Amino acid sequence: MATAAFELSDIRFRYRGGDFELRVPELRLEAGERVAVIGPSGAGKTTLLHLVAGIALPDRGKVTTAGTEITALGDAARRAFRARHVGLVFQEFELLEYLSVLDNILLPYRINPALRLDTPARARARALANGVGLGEKLGRPPARLSHGERQRAALCRALVTEPDLVLADEPTGNLDPDNKQRALDALFAYADRSGAALLTVTHDHDLLPHFQRVIDFKSFWSSGS
Amino acid sequence: MRLAALLLLLLLLPACSPESQAPAPDAAATAGPLVVYTVNAPLGWMAQRIGGEAVEVRFPAPADVDPALWSPESETVAAYQGGDLILLNGAGYAGWVARATLRRRALLDTSAGFQDRLIPVEDATTHQHGPKGDHSHGEVAFTTWLDATLAAEQARAVAGALADTRPADAETFATGLAGVESDLAELDHRLADAAASLGEAPILFSHPVYQYLGRRYRLNGRSLHWEPDAHPGAGEWRSLEALLREHPARLMLWEAEPVPSTAQRLKALGVESVVFAPCGNRCGDDWLGAMQDNAARLEAALR
Amino acid sequence: MSGAAYLAWRYLLHHRIKTLILVLSIALIVFLPIGLRVLVRQSAAQLTARAEATPLVLGARGSALELVLASLYFDAEPPPSIAYAEATRVDESSLAEAIPLHLGFRTRDKPIVGTTLEYFELRGLHVAAGRMLAVLGECVVGARAAAELGVGPGDALVSSPETVFQLAGVYPLKMRVAGVLAPSHTPDDGAVFVDLKTAWIIAGLGHGHRDLADAKAQTDVAAREGGRITAKASVVEYNEITPENAASFHFHGEQAELPISAILARPRDAKARALLLGRYQAPDEPIQVLRPTAVMDELLETVVTVESYAVAAVGAVGVATLATAGLVFLLSIRLRRREIETLVKIGGSRASVATVLLSEVVGVTLLGIVLAGVLTLVTSRFGEAAIRRFLLS
Repeated sequence: MATAAFELSDIRFRYRGGDFELRVPELRLEAGERVAVIGPSGAGKTTLLHLVAGIALPDRGKVTTAGTEITALGDAARRAFRARHVGLVFQEFELLEYLSVLDNILLPYRINPALRLDTPARARARALANGVGLGEKLGRPPARLSHGERQRAALCRALVTEPDLVLADEPTGNLDPDNKQRALDALFAYADRSGAALLTVTHDHDLLPHFQRVIDFKSFWSSGS
Repeated sequence: MRLAALLLLLLLLPACSPESQAPAPDAAATAGPLVVYTVNAPLGWMAQRIGGEAVEVRFPAPADVDPALWSPESETVAAYQGGDLILLNGAGYAGWVARATLRRRALLDTSAGFQDRLIPVEDATTHQHGPKGDHSHGEVAFTTWLDATLAAEQARAVAGALADTRPADAETFATGLAGVESDLAELDHRLADAAASLGEAPILFSHPVYQYLGRRYRLNGRSLHWEPDAHPGAGEWRSLEALLREHPARLMLWEAEPVPSTAQRLKALGVESVVFAPCGNRCGDDWLGAMQDNAARLEAALR
Repeated sequence: MSGAAYLAWRYLLHHRIKTLILVLSIALIVFLPIGLRVLVRQSAAQLTARAEATPLVLGARGSALELVLASLYFDAEPPPSIAYAEATRVDESSLAEAIPLHLGFRTRDKPIVGTTLEYFELRGLHVAAGRMLAVLGECVVGARAAAELGVGPGDALVSSPETVFQLAGVYPLKMRVAGVLAPSHTPDDGAVFVDLKTAWIIAGLGHGHRDLADAKAQTDVAAREGGRITAKASVVEYNEITPENAASFHFHGEQAELPISAILARPRDAKARALLLGRYQAPDEPIQVLRPTAVMDELLETVVTVESYAVAAVGAVGVATLATAGLVFLLSIRLRRREIETLVKIGGSRASVATVLLSEVVGVTLLGIVLAGVLTLVTSRFGEAAIRRFLLS
């Protein structure tokens, strides 16, 4: 069997201060697969992404990402793994206001010594930026970008390390239809080119036809007992 | 306040560029002859005879001025400042010295040793400001060297100052002083002999510059105010004739050769003119020689 | 530059005003006590150098500090005067050379110092332009005074018409500038020097007027008895000494009684100094003899004490400033919480994240220390000149 992009087994995660528990008996994504997890805003979909990325650890269960059981890794190892293999697109983009577009895109290389900021990395950053129409704005700070441009810069940051798995949290939230399409095109183009798996959590039903599989997030909820 | 100034200083520092250090003045030459400035020819002669090659004597007064009344230019005074020793006659001679800025240590008042024997000038004019204001002092006569014994005292003062300034040459100075004292003693004898032959006979002085000569050699003299190069006026002749009636002088000493007509008219009155130059300024090649010439002329007139 | 350090650098640049304020604050807190200490040490050295260059000072009994400050720095009210005879007394003792000083008059705002040629030898002063003063009525000007007054050889200066010794006031005297002294980096640079006798003339103790015996001066004569002339009070006195009228200048009264402000004494040797000091120990002696180094040492002790208090005060302010800076850093970290979370989420190592945050602190502190170091170097380099210019003159 081919190595899954990620696999969650028997996951239990209790939300702090709440009565609800996230239960994922099994969730598996194959390499190259595009999966959307649909659910209302504030349902906890981000937590699912955090579990897959190793940002959060489940109370019980096993998370295997890109062939590595990340729940068995220490914090430093998980961070290094995440930096190398996982690309994250945040709901609020989370660009650093004091860095230029190019420096934001290259941020993963600067904050983990496991990654080396070399010439190919810089070339990839510029190519990604050109691909999303940011080639002329690499020197600008995020404050001087439009909403859509900021989102595209965040996308480039997620993809610059050539991750095996891309986790996108509401990647098209608050975007106009034009920019929404551009964002999706960029994600899918990367996935097609690299064979990376794509897991997107969203509340936007209009996106669903673009994905190979749609999972209802409500199926992972359970009241605490 | 000082602390506030110090703190303000910090803001003003860039405004202050470092200044270059002033170059140190050249060290005074310690080798070579002592540079000795004088205010008259007699002291110059003494310094040169006493100091020999150990001294370089300078007397910058022009040859045609009376050094007693000379007022040098500032630049000349500046030259005096460079002297190792500045010989002053004292007794009010060379009033310019009182108005000059000179190194006090370099100044030597050669008549300081006989202040009590200075001769006040009769009929000097003094003034005061207001009835009770400070008053100026009367003057004293300043041709002290005409008394050969006082000249010897001045010479001793010069020798002492030279030895203090250049102890290494003290022996040279002592030898020179001995020679000067010997010469002055001989001059003194000669003048004394001439004066002895004159006795109490009244004589005249063309100008009041012979006070010390008169006192030393007991001359019965009266002073006029006649310039050698001037023609006395009628009033002056009348005054002279009146004076001769009570002071029947047969001899008149002149500072310089009088106008021939004056000499002749004096001769007609029975008064022989004899040049006895005080030689405050340069007289011929040698001051002592000039004084000996004075003595010779006096002797000749008395024969 | 490491990635984390680069991020820190970009952060500091982006928040340049905050960075600048923090850097300046730290620089000042570090520099102030050091700079203060450097300046105090340099001031002390200069004050001490001036005092060490002056073996002994004599003057009227009273405040030793005022006497020393007036005679060395011309920076105090002139002390009570003493008679010129006291200078002669020192000279005649053969123990020391006496250099009299007359203080108190000014030309514009520059002190006029009446003295003798020996003063310039003592201080190692020599003329850079023109020549040394030679006759009554001339002056030589210190380098800085000449620059500030805009005068050079051949120009004129007029003494300010202040009352010093006489209630009736004195007329100003027009003095000719004979020369300008070379810079000495001492208070002498800011003074105007005249012959002591010229100072007495400024004080009205000497004057020049036309010859009262002259027939043309009859309107100035109140009474005449033989050779003794009493002048009227209205006799016009010259307010400038020229080659033409210089011979008329005279003093009334004995020179020994004329006033001076202080005497700088240069003893022959250590034994002579001890002997001279001993001669003025009598309780009824109206003259005091001081060693300027001893007087300045006392003053400097006070300065050092004040400096210590100042450093302590600065230190207290420094602690408060550092606490404030620390608070700013903590608040900054708190405000960057979201950024930290992002860095963690995209895989930032603990060390990298910590480096990014701490680099701000370290960077600002290092820059502050470097700036403090630069300021200290500048102070060391230019402090002496500034002290001479702003404090000692």
